[in-house]
Amino acid sequence: MKFIEKTNLTSLLAQLDAQYRLLVPVDYHGLTQFAPYSQVDSGVSQLYLDGNVTVSPKTVYLPQSEAMYKFSAQGKKLAIEEMPPLDRMQVLFGVRHCDTKAIQCLDKVFLDDTFADPQYKDKRDKTIVFSLACNNPKATCFCESMGIDRAHAEQSVADVQVYDLGERYGFEAVSDKGQACLNALNGMTDGEAKLPEQKPQSISFDAQGLPEKLKEMFDHPIWDEYAFKCLNCGTCSYICPTCHCFDINNKMRGTTGLKLRTWDSCMFGEYTQMAGGHQPRPGKKERVRNRFLHKLQYFNEKHNMSLCVGCGRCIAKCPVNMDITKFIRQVIAE
Amino acid sequence: MPNTFAEIQNEMRNIAKELLESGEATMVIGWEKGALPYQSTPVMIRSAEDVDKLIWDEYCQQNLSTYLIDYIYTDEKVAIFAKGCDTRAYNRLIQDNRIKAEKSIVIGVPCLGMKNAREAAKLPEGAEVPMANACKECRYPNPVTFDRKIGEDVTPWCTERDFSDVEAIEALSADEKYAFWQSQYTKCIRCYACRNICPACNCTSCIFDQSASGWCSKDVNASENQFYGVTRAFHVAGRCIECGQCEMVCPSEVPIMLMNKKFIKDIDSLFGAHEAGIDIDTPAPLSHFSVSDPEEFM
Repeated sequence: MKFIEKTNLTSLLAQLDAQYRLLVPVDYHGLTQFAPYSQVDSGVSQLYLDGNVTVSPKTVYLPQSEAMYKFSAQGKKLAIEEMPPLDRMQVLFGVRHCDTKAIQCLDKVFLDDTFADPQYKDKRDKTIVFSLACNNPKATCFCESMGIDRAHAEQSVADVQVYDLGERYGFEAVSDKGQACLNALNGMTDGEAKLPEQKPQSISFDAQGLPEKLKEMFDHPIWDEYAFKCLNCGTCSYICPTCHCFDINNKMRGTTGLKLRTWDSCMFGEYTQMAGGHQPRPGKKERVRNRFLHKLQYFNEKHNMSLCVGCGRCIAKCPVNMDITKFIRQVIAE
Repeated sequence: MPNTFAEIQNEMRNIAKELLESGEATMVIGWEKGALPYQSTPVMIRSAEDVDKLIWDEYCQQNLSTYLIDYIYTDEKVAIFAKGCDTRAYNRLIQDNRIKAEKSIVIGVPCLGMKNAREAAKLPEGAEVPMANACKECRYPNPVTFDRKIGEDVTPWCTERDFSDVEAIEALSADEKYAFWQSQYTKCIRCYACRNICPACNCTSCIFDQSASGWCSKDVNASENQFYGVTRAFHVAGRCIECGQCEMVCPSEVPIMLMNKKFIKDIDSLFGAHEAGIDIDTPAPLSHFSVSDPEEFM
């Protein structure tokens, strides 16, 4: 393991920033998210390592708005201009273990065997992930119950494992990419260290057999009970590290335009609105049911993993406190 | 008279039980405890056996009046518990013809001000939690309309709004104002939680749900986000009951009430003092026409 004193973290980040495009968790006027390190350097934002960020790192791979290509009408012809790929490697520092698992979920969708999304793949290939283990979970955290390894980040996503060791941070390379990155950093010491003690999570349950149970519950009254209070806003979908639905739309100005990919939410009416006006998911019940079943049943059936990683963001931020853990426990007890 | 939280909670359960057992109401909407001590959340009670889920504490901030909209075209008769602000929302919804009085039962609950759940989440356990921002300036803690009422009226702790925050923004130069709102609306993720929780945002269809129209792009950036924020502020102007829920639910902590308060201040100076929703007879200043309206722009 390599170490750096916490007081020297800034110099480490400055080194990374000099070699890569560095993204770090920040607090920007009350919103915590990943942002370029220059924001911290210039004092616009403060480095935020006390807990997980509100806006998950999915924004790094699947930005809320992303131009897919530019187009313009030239006489009767259409000209297409591809968007340039990332021009340099980037480092994503401080991703929590739940979110590394979430990125693995996104990989299942965007790096599918049959089609790898080129824009997603470009960013995945060019990002070195430093994943930070959590010693002090928040009251809303339940990643352990969703099968996340709190001692080790998802191996297919993390490149460097970081541990908070009190006065210092410990770094362990997980991939070759991570090893090469660590080797090039100055001012680190080598040695051995005991892994930090991790406090237990206050929300804890056994979700064994959940997808199978839900399969029989499509018409269960539980959906009325939960959906009634939903506002059909997009907070849960947008802050969720695994919700990945998007819409493709045009942004036009004169004869030129952008083809945009923007986040979408299954809570919104336009999401399932069909040409001709039919709305297969007209109300709260159908929408809440779809979201929960996608997370806890459908994704399992397709990819053999849960689409909920237990980050707890929705419990903290849902305006009406729709509690997915209460729902899971109730289903298990059925 | 029940006056403590526990006494009022007990009375809530008794009334809910009575209404459901007698068939006077087909459902009762109140609050239950959420996942964390500082979270209280709406609950629907359909059976007298479930009334013990109901709670009354310092985090029952969410307005339940807006749920009545969901049942306007059903045979349900819905009873709701309502604080002062919730009854103002109720009046506004009646005025906007979005709910029907005969399909609802309003059980008024005087309120001593709710606590700031967002601050509570940031404070260590056991720390003193301040009052929610909107509640600090509440002048109507007692229900302004009700079918039944629990507890004694409380003495309002605020007589006049504090516009110093609005004045601080007004004092900035145009560039500074622009920079301020730019930094705030850069954060907006367009989840529409502010719109969906707002009792004034009760339109059957919203401009922001019609992206094909081209009025507002789905591109999320400071410019489009501000277009959303400003349009919404204009649209709730004169109808905002100052419950502050928009700001409270914003995951990005955009100071939405600052803009709403600016509109309230301007309306008061242009059209005379107006308090939205304190009765159903006074029309909202921008919802009707009067020959004495200012018309400097004509």
